[in-house]
Amino acid sequence: MNQTNADMQKIEMAGNVLVLGGGLTGIRTADAIAAQGYSVSLVESGEAVGLEAESRPLNGFNKAEMNILYKMVEQIRSSERIEVLEQTSLARAAGVAGNYKIWLSGQAALVEKNVGAIVVASELTREPLNQVYGLEIGKAVISQSGLEQTLASEPRNFADKTVAFVVGFAQTGNPLVMERVLRSALELAQVDGSSVYVYVKDLKVAAEDLERLYMQTRDRGVLFFKLDHAPDIELNENGVSITYNDPVISEDIILQADILVIEETIEADCANTRLADILGIDIGKEGFLQSDNVHRYPVATNREGIFVVGGSRQVQTLDQALMDAENAALQVRRLLGDGTILVPANKAVLDTGKCTFCLTCFRCCPHGAIYWNTDNKPVISPVACQGCGICAGECPMDAIQIGEFSDTAIHEQLQCSVSDTAGKTPKIVAFCCQNSAMEAAQMARDFRIGLPGGLRLVQVPCAGKIDLDYILNAFVEGADGVLVMACHSGNCKSEHGNTYAQWRVNDVQQKLSEAGLDRARLRYATLASNMASDFVCIVTEFETLLKDLEADQALI
Amino acid sequence: MSMEAKKVMVIGGGIAGLSAARELSRNGIQVELVEKADFLGGHAIQYACKATDTCQQCGACTVESILKEVVRDTNIRVHLASRIDQISGSPPFEVKLERIAITGMADKFKDCLKGYDKNPVQCAAVKGYSRHNAKYKTADGLLNPDICQTADKLEVDAIIWATGFVPFDPNQKSTYRYGELPNVVSGMDLERSKRTSGSFLRPSDGKPPQTIAFIQCVGSRDERLGHLWCSRVCGPYALRMALGMKHQNPDAKITIFYMDIQNIDHCFPAFYRQCLNDLTFVRTIPVDMFQTDEDRIRTRYMSENDSKPVESEFDLVVLSVGVMPGTDNVSLADLLHTQLTPDGFAASTDKLNATMTNQKGIFLAGTVQGPKDIADSIAHAGNAAGEVIKYLRRAS
Repeated sequence: MNQTNADMQKIEMAGNVLVLGGGLTGIRTADAIAAQGYSVSLVESGEAVGLEAESRPLNGFNKAEMNILYKMVEQIRSSERIEVLEQTSLARAAGVAGNYKIWLSGQAALVEKNVGAIVVASELTREPLNQVYGLEIGKAVISQSGLEQTLASEPRNFADKTVAFVVGFAQTGNPLVMERVLRSALELAQVDGSSVYVYVKDLKVAAEDLERLYMQTRDRGVLFFKLDHAPDIELNENGVSITYNDPVISEDIILQADILVIEETIEADCANTRLADILGIDIGKEGFLQSDNVHRYPVATNREGIFVVGGSRQVQTLDQALMDAENAALQVRRLLGDGTILVPANKAVLDTGKCTFCLTCFRCCPHGAIYWNTDNKPVISPVACQGCGICAGECPMDAIQIGEFSDTAIHEQLQCSVSDTAGKTPKIVAFCCQNSAMEAAQMARDFRIGLPGGLRLVQVPCAGKIDLDYILNAFVEGADGVLVMACHSGNCKSEHGNTYAQWRVNDVQQKLSEAGLDRARLRYATLASNMASDFVCIVTEFETLLKDLEADQALI
Repeated sequence: MSMEAKKVMVIGGGIAGLSAARELSRNGIQVELVEKADFLGGHAIQYACKATDTCQQCGACTVESILKEVVRDTNIRVHLASRIDQISGSPPFEVKLERIAITGMADKFKDCLKGYDKNPVQCAAVKGYSRHNAKYKTADGLLNPDICQTADKLEVDAIIWATGFVPFDPNQKSTYRYGELPNVVSGMDLERSKRTSGSFLRPSDGKPPQTIAFIQCVGSRDERLGHLWCSRVCGPYALRMALGMKHQNPDAKITIFYMDIQNIDHCFPAFYRQCLNDLTFVRTIPVDMFQTDEDRIRTRYMSENDSKPVESEFDLVVLSVGVMPGTDNVSLADLLHTQLTPDGFAASTDKLNATMTNQKGIFLAGTVQGPKDIADSIAHAGNAAGEVIKYLRRAS
């Protein structure tokens, strides 16, 4: 750590943690966090925490293993550090990491609590897809869940029956969907006189031991047919007739089955959308509570102190989800410490004299780090702030300064860098995000890949910090060309820093054109930290372009 | 409770070992990180960014940033080109390290000191693929023993076994003629060359290929080889690289030969729609490769629609090799008195916790336990670190 204690600020952190979701993931999370010495409120919207709240089928577990699960649930109920709140849900949340205020609605009136961190452990949901096949669930057509129930209670019902599964035609599917089919098919194959057929698009076996389970199932006599399209299915008095084109002999084959098992989805809970809204966290493309951003690995969100585990962040097997639980406990520990933490005092400093309360910073902060205090003034939480500087770039009053990247510091970097290139033309100023382009540039230097002589780098915490003024100033200071180098779309640690950078580049290009300068003198480019060669390609191409522009101008 | 007096050895400096070391250090634990290669980062540090305009979530860049943290972390002592020679049976473990001679480097690095442009793949290898590994090298490119080989004996309270995997050796499937035909490459080769040159180029002439075939499941899901597992990463890396190629060269024609399309976590349906748009999928696995007079690779396979033989020619054939158990697994399991699965991966003994072994104080992280992508390796390593902390707390 570079900073001395004098630059650091001591912040009190609440020692309670809210865990939302009482399935096995939520339970393991609560347990792991309580084991770190924090008190936990485990909140479940359904009737009860435990196996009732678990969305994953547990038919792969034997008795001894099930007993371990029951014990896990019991331990939670008897733990002194864990408060179990059932039939309760989160109604509202406010505040920032270390000091979230939450309102819970349950059987009684709204309960208000203070928590240091929040872990979301939503479960996955399942939906039979019979409608996609144009079929009603009934005697001959049953859902995967229906099959599992009957297999558990009355497996003899399937004696001497022909059972067919269809999976992967009504959805992309995933290994969890596949595992359910494989386990049921294996169980069915062991019932006397049964014949089992599986019609499948892609065998989704990308999870531990699934390929082996598939082999076992095949060895037990289950027949698999991989088809590109769903077979034709017709109900008749004896069950269903299934017509498919056999890929090996290229002929239509008809199977008369007694029972057809319809695939079910296993996907994100649609209640996630509301939770994301309440908690101010990003939601991914498929409705999971984590944006598709590698910097969130494994359990982080865009907001400090809000973590997502298990089914709330992706389709996962139970053992993967339980891994998340341990990771969340580690991250909670890292954040809350022993009740106080030290953070740099100057992460983002607001000049309240300049501030006109326009709310711009509040709206653009991707980390939900800005809130209003009782005097109705904006406050930037030094715990929640990630120092990206998007707010500083957007603030119309230039009222926000970011740690070591104050406007003055950046202008100094800029002046030094341009004067430093004396005699070397064209002069190129590259504003580089420290997370990506700066790393790539330094790697290019260290590996001695040739760079243009007139190139100078200006480091910024995030491309979202690159103010319109910085770009214009670079030209004023004498740059022949300016590069704005950001992370790829979807890879910004602050989610939208690259978007802001691109917008600002577009604006300045417009201004350049109006001033009679070629807009090509300003370029926006994206890079990752490990792209040294690509960095060199971009700057070299840009150098050539600037030289061509000079040559053209000389002709005029 | 203070963890500062505690010491943990992490065996393996790939993404899992690095992640575990970082988490332990964050909790005040001293880490001895032992790696047999002369650089940190394992296989993952050799992977390329596969972004188009948009990040494709491969996670290669996260390895770079975790490595950066570890290299700067004073709680973590790094032992490179080192292997475990002896280990006492029970905690606290006494460990004897042995040096591994790094041979054949002298000729290689001479060129690389002058500049990287001539032979980027080789020079990247010499430099440890990342600038963050430079700390462990002297100015003339050799390993600096004063920084990364400072101890012969360690005493540690717990161990995380994170030695990773080996990519399947395509020579085991001789009809692909890997190593013989220059334009038949492995996914790993393509990763390295993209990382170092920035482009997808074919080895024979260094030009961007126009027609490319990816052959999936090379070495995985293979009953004949007894490999009854899906490697989980080959589909994702092949599709991401294929889209990356298509982005660099929109005219490229790319065919994916496959058995079953596996998901990529998070946002697969949307990603797959784009793949279906940009790539051709053929559900069969070609076997024989021939070189044509025009320096192309000819292969034949049965058409999936009418089961008739088809012949196709490609500029480049990429073998999507899978995740195999590490070559040191047997000897390490022996030293650690832990068990292996029938497949040869390190066996976890708890169905609900894949980091547990049959030995007190020894935990698993990453692909040593079975195939995982970068994201899952990081999560597994975090879990292992968490278990170590709980274990040390119980033990003290």
